[in-house]
Amino acid sequence: MLRKKTFKLNYGYVFIAPFVIGFLLFGLYPVYNTLALSFTNTTMLTRKDDFVGLDNFIRLFSDKTFLTAVTNTWELWLMNFIPQLGIAMLLAVWFTNVRLKIKGVGIWRLLFFMPNLLMPAAIAALYFSLFSYYGPVNQLMVRGGVYSEAIDFIRNKEVMRGLVVFIQWWMWFGWTAIILMAAMSSISLSLYEAAVIDGARDFQVFRYVTMPLIKPVMIYILVTSLVGGMQMFDIPYLLTDGRGSPANSILTNTIMMYMRFRSNEGHIGASSAIGVMIFIMTSIVALLIFFLLRDKEPKAVKEKEI
Amino acid sequence: MKRLSSVFSVLIVAAMLLAACGAPATEAPAAEAPAAEAPAAEAPAAGKTVLDVWSFTNEILTMAVAFEGKHPDVDVVYTMIPMTNGEYQTKLMATLGTPDVPDVVALEAAFVKQYVESDFLADLTDLMTYANELKMFPFVYETASDDGVVKGYSYQATPGGLFYRRSLAKEYFGTDDPAAIQDILGDMDKYIAAAEVVKEKSGGNTFMVASGGDFHNLFYANRANPWVVDGKLTVDPQVEAMIATSKLFRDSGFEARATQWQEGWFAGMNGTLTDAAGNPKQIFTYFLPTWGLPYVLAPNAKSADGSSDTTGDWALIPGPMAYQWGGTWVGVMKDSDKQDLAKEFVKFVALDEENLTNWATGVYTNDFLKAIDPAVPEGQSQAAGDFIGSQVVAEKLVPLFDDSAMSSFMGGQNFYKQWIAAAPRVNARLFQGSDDAIQRALNDPMSSYLEGTITYDEMWQLWKDAVRNEFPDLIIE
Repeated sequence: MLRKKTFKLNYGYVFIAPFVIGFLLFGLYPVYNTLALSFTNTTMLTRKDDFVGLDNFIRLFSDKTFLTAVTNTWELWLMNFIPQLGIAMLLAVWFTNVRLKIKGVGIWRLLFFMPNLLMPAAIAALYFSLFSYYGPVNQLMVRGGVYSEAIDFIRNKEVMRGLVVFIQWWMWFGWTAIILMAAMSSISLSLYEAAVIDGARDFQVFRYVTMPLIKPVMIYILVTSLVGGMQMFDIPYLLTDGRGSPANSILTNTIMMYMRFRSNEGHIGASSAIGVMIFIMTSIVALLIFFLLRDKEPKAVKEKEI
Repeated sequence: MKRLSSVFSVLIVAAMLLAACGAPATEAPAAEAPAAEAPAAEAPAAGKTVLDVWSFTNEILTMAVAFEGKHPDVDVVYTMIPMTNGEYQTKLMATLGTPDVPDVVALEAAFVKQYVESDFLADLTDLMTYANELKMFPFVYETASDDGVVKGYSYQATPGGLFYRRSLAKEYFGTDDPAAIQDILGDMDKYIAAAEVVKEKSGGNTFMVASGGDFHNLFYANRANPWVVDGKLTVDPQVEAMIATSKLFRDSGFEARATQWQEGWFAGMNGTLTDAAGNPKQIFTYFLPTWGLPYVLAPNAKSADGSSDTTGDWALIPGPMAYQWGGTWVGVMKDSDKQDLAKEFVKFVALDEENLTNWATGVYTNDFLKAIDPAVPEGQSQAAGDFIGSQVVAEKLVPLFDDSAMSSFMGGQNFYKQWIAAAPRVNARLFQGSDDAIQRALNDPMSSYLEGTITYDEMWQLWKDAVRNEFPDLIIE
């Protein structure tokens, strides 16, 4: 009996081995290596790699550009994530609502999800030419008499930030909506029926039945979006010159990291320092999300219910 | 059970976080990337010495095949990685110091100097004998030299010139003769005065230049000081003049506000540029180098619907200042174990009279290459007209271009003769590895300044911040 049990145990190790090995190799080692590199002045085009202590981090904080990048990243992420979650939630509630019975849910879902399938490079190129000085937006607006002279949108900080926020929202709200719909449709119908029989209104059903039951999914969405948002790269990188132009308005953490890596000597030490900062920042906020949305079931309440 | 599963989900999410955050910052994924590129290179043939050549265009493949024709025992494995968004540079950097390092690399003007200044290219100074024999234009080997050590050569020289529309020149200045127009546009003050005339006589419907960015190269090429002097970031008066001129062009409406390499810039080449309200606009001049003629101007001289065609309406003059733009150099990697063969390849590509002649005169047709290697891709060939780095060979070739397709595009002008006159005036001694990044960092603050959204001082501050961000060791005041 005992022998059989140990055999089973070993078998389990074999099953989890691929993940553990993959994680150690592609998850933990890169993090360790990034951390180690961030304390050196390693560059790719010279053969130097000396330990420089916290120099890279000191430089990072003495230099306004990094703070600009961090603020930009947070602003760009929050400005697209809040409406993204709101709209996705609204759509998910509508499409899973038994009373509304919206037709063609599958088609709508496909339409909302479609932008997510497009290549960021193509989207960035599309919006760049739409809004360029000689582009169609200016042509339509001027010929339609909306304004009299072409506007250089590409050089306008607010317009470019707005575009990044819009594109990110547009690409990702469908994804969020689908995850939320999946979570909502897995909630047992009898709970809704019971709530309705008890006289709950739509908002009350949402607040007291739907919300608590989709909390695990909410945590998942918040954390994955946070990770994605902190690493926002492709759209702001491709939309203008790849340096966060105009005037650093769409410079994000990862663009700055890549710029250092791409600088003429390839300063991977200095760019690792940014990577480490992104990692620390993301981890703290992710843990905060877990903490705030943890299961709050104090014993006192339970006892009262009983 | 519930607690256990939530612990697990935390772990899994944490693992995803780790994996997602860590990866981009390390060189591991980048180092693996070239392997994924392998299908782009042909498989090495058995029993032959393999020479690994990396480039960012298909141009050198033509010469690689020709080289195989001369050396049947050599198999050149050619890897092409496009330069879009710095892909080539990133992948090349990632191979440095690893066994994957290629034997021969092509280096573009934007980054040739940083490799030349580094410790990764082999010393090719002994090939200078051949370069002197062929009278290579000095800026070509100066660009690839560091402290007198030559580490790369180029088959081409890429001096720049000023292209103008003959019909518009006649309209505004009464002549389209290149010598007369050169007198009118011979220096920057004259160029500015002419811009005024063009604007006035056309009623603002013809712009002197499509984009102010077009003449940046001219100012950069004529500086008296490099960007970095004794480790300190320095601004040369020419750079200040460049910004002042750009501002003047923007504020006076001498430039069409197009962006280089974008729709409006190309539309000006075939005369189909229209402003947002639909009014047709013309561009009088374009600053382009040697390769700009066959690769940029000629292919865009006809509008997509064929309604407008500027073929035959162009002429080339030296313009206000001598400059050069772009170009491809070839060098040998120090870590390559095939030094002699790699050197032989560089010599063939850049310093072989026969190869240079064939290259510039259109001998390397697709059929020619297919005869050597049947696996050559369809369309791989080199048309006549690329301007080569050797003065001796270039001078021999001049008469061939008196009457060619390209000279009829230029209204009968022999463009080759123009390039020969332009090339010796170019100076590359101030060229530094950090130039490209420093100049790029200036583009964005400068356009914000031209736009009027920031002040002159704020522009310099933004630029210094950007440069500091990329160059940790530079002294910036």
